[in-house]
This record gives sequence, structure tokens and C-alpha cells, in this order.
Amino acid sequence: MNSQVLLYVIVLPVAWFFLWSLKSTRSRQALLLATSYALYASWGLKFLGLLVCSSVLNYGLGTLLRRKQSVARLWLGIVLNVAMLGTFKYLPAMAPLLPHSSLISSFANIALPAGISFWTFQALSYLFDVYREEELDPSLLEFLLYMAFWPTVLSGPICRLSSLLPQFRGILKPAAENILRGIDRICIGLFMTALGQLLASGIHVGQGIDGIFDRPARGVTGSDVWCLAVGYGFELFFNFAGYTHIVIGAAHLFGFRLDENFDRPYLSTTPSQFWTRWHMSLSFWIRDYLFLPLVMMRREAWWRSFALIVSMVVFGLWHKGALLFALWGLYQGILLVLHRQWQQLERRYEWQLPQTIMGPVSWIVTFGAVCLGWVFFRANSVTQALTMLRAAANLNKYASRTLPASLFFLVAALVLGYFGTIGSQLLVRKYSAKLRLPLEARFVLYAAAVYVGVFHMAQTQAFIYFQF
Amino acid sequence: MGLVIFVLVLEVCARIDDVVSYDAPFWGPYSDEILLQRDSIGKWGKPGARYAKWQLNSLGYRSPELRPESVRIIAMGASETFGLYEAPDQEYPRQLERDLNSWAGRDLFQVVNVAFAGETLPTAILRVPQIVKEVHPAYALIYPDLSSYVWMFVKTETAAAGESSAARQTRMSFDSRLAVRVRNLLKQVLPSAIQNQLRKVSMRREIAARHYVVLERVPEDRVERFRQDLHKLIAALRAYGVEPVLLTHATVFSKPLSESDHVALTTWRKVYPMLKEEGFLDMEQRMNDGIRQTAAEEHVPLIDADKQMPHGPKYFADMVHFTTVGAGVMASVLENGLQPLLNSQLQRTADGVAQGRPADGERSTTGPPPQ
Repeated sequence: MNSQVLLYVIVLPVAWFFLWSLKSTRSRQALLLATSYALYASWGLKFLGLLVCSSVLNYGLGTLLRRKQSVARLWLGIVLNVAMLGTFKYLPAMAPLLPHSSLISSFANIALPAGISFWTFQALSYLFDVYREEELDPSLLEFLLYMAFWPTVLSGPICRLSSLLPQFRGILKPAAENILRGIDRICIGLFMTALGQLLASGIHVGQGIDGIFDRPARGVTGSDVWCLAVGYGFELFFNFAGYTHIVIGAAHLFGFRLDENFDRPYLSTTPSQFWTRWHMSLSFWIRDYLFLPLVMMRREAWWRSFALIVSMVVFGLWHKGALLFALWGLYQGILLVLHRQWQQLERRYEWQLPQTIMGPVSWIVTFGAVCLGWVFFRANSVTQALTMLRAAANLNKYASRTLPASLFFLVAALVLGYFGTIGSQLLVRKYSAKLRLPLEARFVLYAAAVYVGVFHMAQTQAFIYFQF
Repeated sequence: MGLVIFVLVLEVCARIDDVVSYDAPFWGPYSDEILLQRDSIGKWGKPGARYAKWQLNSLGYRSPELRPESVRIIAMGASETFGLYEAPDQEYPRQLERDLNSWAGRDLFQVVNVAFAGETLPTAILRVPQIVKEVHPAYALIYPDLSSYVWMFVKTETAAAGESSAARQTRMSFDSRLAVRVRNLLKQVLPSAIQNQLRKVSMRREIAARHYVVLERVPEDRVERFRQDLHKLIAALRAYGVEPVLLTHATVFSKPLSESDHVALTTWRKVYPMLKEEGFLDMEQRMNDGIRQTAAEEHVPLIDADKQMPHGPKYFADMVHFTTVGAGVMASVLENGLQPLLNSQLQRTADGVAQGRPADGERSTTGPPPQ
């Protein structure tokens, strides 16, 4: 935790209080924009300058496109945005690979503006939507707010203007239901991030997922790899989905409904389903603005597979310009292609296995394949990732373990606890749809969430997705 | 009502957290005071006590249990040696033990951390017989706390310290564990400029309330007293056959002072409001000179940590206490300084093993003092 958290804790209640006292929509938008800029400025004034420049530039490009839908104008927007993202995100990573010179070394010191990947993709989605003749006519103030909107600017969800614009223009009222729902979501998020941190740091110091990944992978066994892969999958999920809960909850308090980013992804029974439930805002962005335009260029089956793989590699590289992320994307793309091939085989030979068998088998295969892929996402080097995957593939290496028993216990407990919670939620929803907690019980849960999410985690790491 | 439930649950959560994380009692007082006991000399570690990350062994020292057949080195000092900010098992005596054993190629050395927060040289001198009796050390590293000499002779302060200790004892049973966490959280999130201003206000209040005479620099008689105490401690250790090694005192402060150094100086002064900020730097220089001079006079090995330790917040969590990284560097500095001294020990041990008899270090190297 640092002073920025305190700034959010002070600024947001003040903004919330004043928001309801303002009558006109424009003044409310101006207050939200001022709040967003004040909070974003705490990450660096230069970053704020860049965000404003990008917003004004994209607003201008959008206006040009609205006047005349032209591919050239769209490409100009794409190139400018990708160039900016490349300069700040990928150039520093590439600098060590280029011939040494003073100019090249200065590239390595370029700082990554907070949330640049998220707000650049929001800008691009605006340009694509305008090109597709969607009815979007934001004022400059509205577009600046869309780009800098404080709940989403740092780590998403990557929103579409078509979803936010009506809300910016709508009449906001402080509804008790919104507030309760918002607090619920924030508390759930705090719990989840605390669980993510517990997996990262472990029950005992240095025996968590992060500590183990930071050691050399020599001697690692198959069961160790699965423990680490599943454990990291849940660490990332708890961390990012928890953060998203907090963001969506905070937006609820201000009367805004943001797009969901996760929908119980680990219940997916196919890789395709997983990618409609995990980091949904980015996944749908890639689908709508990259995969679909790409796949429509040719009709051959191989081209569709190729488009899938290219899209997933871009998905991986969106996180970071590193070989491991490209490999992770490639792996996920191959999974999607394999799943598609399997579906075609099923259709061709009319395989009809009972759902009671196919359902669990599909779930196990999907869950295992997705988790194994996290090795690429988290490993510190390609060598480490390959060593781990070799160990997972070697059946002789399953008899023993080198990781502490406490980590196996922790991962098992949290995974079972998560699925148990999901199961009980479904039962509760099915049999007592109107079950509501008494207010006193809510306060107990809120306090517990604040304790684990704030006080217990006072030394916590930043959210993993802040780095992207 | 909701707010009351909210705060009560937070307090219960804090207590459950203590029980789960540190095996702390759910009810009753829980503060660093439970690490200490008192006798005729003063405060002393309570055998087997545990508070948060700090765990004492069965003799009341922050070390693992004594290993038989090891060459024991005691680390004497105050909170810098005891360890405040380092991760568990990363305080410099523990890191030094690992470094020395790695150098020796086997678990030959044991560094026993006999320091605790607030230990002064006069009380350390009185503790020597007890420590020697319990630990049987061959060597003693002396890393003295200098700032205790700022207030040692201030009568009002001594009385006040007694009062506050008694008051703390009474207050402990009512302490809210949530309040401690809120305070720690605020320390993390409040900008350092605001915290510094708060420290200055608190300092001014304390000076006014206790009528302190504010000193520009530590008077020479106190520096002289410090030197005398060092001589006495060396004599006390030698009387038991323990070979002392003196260490100069390292701090975070670089030259010229950085912005964070000025904050650290204010933090230091908040603990000792009777000495102006610049006085601490002057005190460090004069007392470190005193340590060097004493080492030369007594022909005691000296490790000049003041000159060899790098400065800055990477190595020091505040003005004098180490971070985990800083403790590691300190351990390396000490290892390098001790190697020439321990080489002969290592050689004797190797010869002893070769000839099938225990080496000097594997026997009790200390005996009773000459009567």
C-alpha cells in the first residue's frame, strides 16, 4: 500500500458527495473527468499528458472518420495508436536486443505509462466502431472521460464507448441498491485479492507460488508442476478477478455499470468457452476487432485456424513484448484450433457420448490444458518453462515432490474452496432466489473483507495486471 | 449499530489473525513487551517468548537453540543487532552464521544474537557473566548503540521512561489490536512530508511537556563515558576468555544528505527530542572515532562497518536499522573482517579433527574469571 491508495480513499468520497449535488450532465461529466485526471496524475504528470494527447488525437481521428469512412483514415488511427503503444511498451523491451548506442540505451529507460494497453485499446475500439458506422457522437468532454474514466483507466475492463456513453449522459441517482451492490462487489474483490496474495506468498515465508517460481526449476517433478500451474492459475484469477470486482463495485457506487470481465472461467468445458469467460473485455476486443476481420479475408479452413493462432499470439503479446507471452498465446491458439478440429471430427463421425461422461472429461481436459499454459505466462525464462513442461510430461517424475507440503495443501484447499463456493452459490440461487442477508450480517462480512483485503494485506504486492 | 458491528468484527479479525499467524493469545495484552522480563539489572529476554515475527530461544536470545560442538560468537548490541525490519532469520547475526559456515565448509560456527532492543553498554557489561555462563562464546562482536548516551544522564527523561513503561504495562491490557494496525497502515499510506510534519509537532510538544534542554551536540563527558564503558565491556569479556571484536556504527546517512536522510534525521530526533538533528551526525562521528581509538588502545580487532557499509534506504529501513539487504551486506562485511581472526580457529579445528581430538572451539573456550 502507498500514498496513492490514500489519495483514492480521500478523493473518491469527496467526488461522490459532490456528484449528486450537481444538476447538469455536463458538470457531472466535468467533475468525473477532473476526478479521473487527479487520480491518474498521481501515477505521473507526464503519463497524464500522454493520456490527454492520445485522447485528443483519437477524438480528432474519430471525427475525421465520422465525416468520411475511409480505410486509409482507419489505418492512420491504427498505426498511430500501435506506434504509441509500441514506443512505450515494446521498445524498452527490445532495446537490449538492438545494437548498442546512446539512443538505443535511452529507449530502455522509457517508463511504461499506467494502463496504456487498456486505454489504447479503448481508443482503437472507438475508431473501429466509428468506421463500422455505429452511432457514436461523443463530445470532446465525453470522449476524454471515456479514455480516463477512473475505475477502468488503470487495468480495465476495456470498455466500449457504446456501453459507457449512455451512462455518461444518463441521470445519475444515488440508489441504495447500487450502493449495497457496489459494497458487496468491493468486499468480494478484497477477499479474492487476499486469497491471491496468500497463494503468492504461501503459508510460510518464501513457500508461495511466487517464491517457488523465482527459484531454479531443476529437479522439479510432475506433481510439483501441476501444483504450481494450478496454483498460479488461481493466484492470477483471484488477483485479477478480485481487482475487477473492486473496480466494478466502485463504479456501482457512482451509478455506473461496467462490463464484466470474468464469468467463472474455470468451470469452462472447452477452450473456446474459457475465452468467453476469462478477461472477457480483452477477449471480446480481440474477437471483434482482430479475429473476425481477419477470418473474413479468406474462406479456407486453414486460414481460420491461422487467424485463431495469430489472434491469440497478439492476445499474449498485448500483455508484454516477450517471447514467453508469445508462446503462451501460441499455446492457447493451438488449443482453440485443436478444439475446433475435435468438433469437426465429432460432427463428421457423429460421435454422441453421454453428457455425464463427456462433461466431466471435457472439463478436466480444458482445466488441465489451460492451467498448464499458465507456466508460460508466469515462468521467468523459456528454459524454466520448458523444464517444467518436460517434468509434467515425464510420467516417471510423478512419484515424488520437491515443493513444501504446505503449498500443496494451500492450493488444494483454495481450489476446492472455490469450487465449493461456486456450487453452493448455484444451489442458493436455485432454491432461494430471494434469500437476502440481514444488514447486520452484511456488516460482519464487510468488516471481515476489509480486514483481509486491507489490514492483513497492508504489505501486499500490486495487482498483477498493473504491469500490463 | 452497523458501525459498532463493523469495528468489533475488525478487532476480532485482528485477534484471530494474531492467533493464526503468531500463535498469540486471543484475549489479553499482546505487544513487544511480552518478549521481555525484568530483573535487578533491567530488561532481559524472556525464554521461549514469541511476539509477531520475533522468536526467542529457551535462553531468551533471538537465535536458534545452541548447537553443541560449535565455535560460538556472540553478537552484542541493541535493536540494530536484535533486528527489527528484516525478514525472519535474515537479521545480520543469522546471515553471518550462514556466511561463516559456508566459508568454513561445515556447520562450525554459531552466531548467537544476545542483543535486544534498548540494550545499553552499562547493562551489557553487567550481563556478561550470565551470557558467558549460558553460551560459552569464543568471540564477542560488539556493535554498540550510541544514541542511548543522548539521554542516559537526563534525569527527567529517565524518570519519564520509567513512567511510560509502567503506564504502558497498565495500558497494554486495554490495547486495541485494530488501532495498532490502523497506525501501521497510516504510516504506509501517509506521504512522508506529512508524517515528518506530524513528527515535528509531536517533538515540540514533548520538549515543552518534559522541559528538555535541547543540545546542539552530545557533551564530551558522555562521549568519554561511552569510551570508558567500552573499555569496561572489553575487560569483562576478556576476564572470561572471550575475544572481543569492535564494530563501528553504520547509518543510512550519505554525504551530502539526501531528502530521505533529512526525514530519517527527524525520525531519529522524535525518539531523542533533546538533541538537535545535526547533533546525531556529530555524535556518530565522534563516537565512531571513540570506538576506533578504544580498539587501538586495547589491541582489539576492529571492523569499520561505518566506512564499509553502503548508505541509503536500500540498506537501512530507518536511520540505523537494517533492511534484509542491508543485514546481508553487514554480514558480508563482518565475514570479511572476521576471516583473518577465524582462520587460525579453522586451522586448529582441522588439525584437531585430523588428530582425533576436539579442537579448542569445540570445547568450552571460556572459563570462570580470575578471582
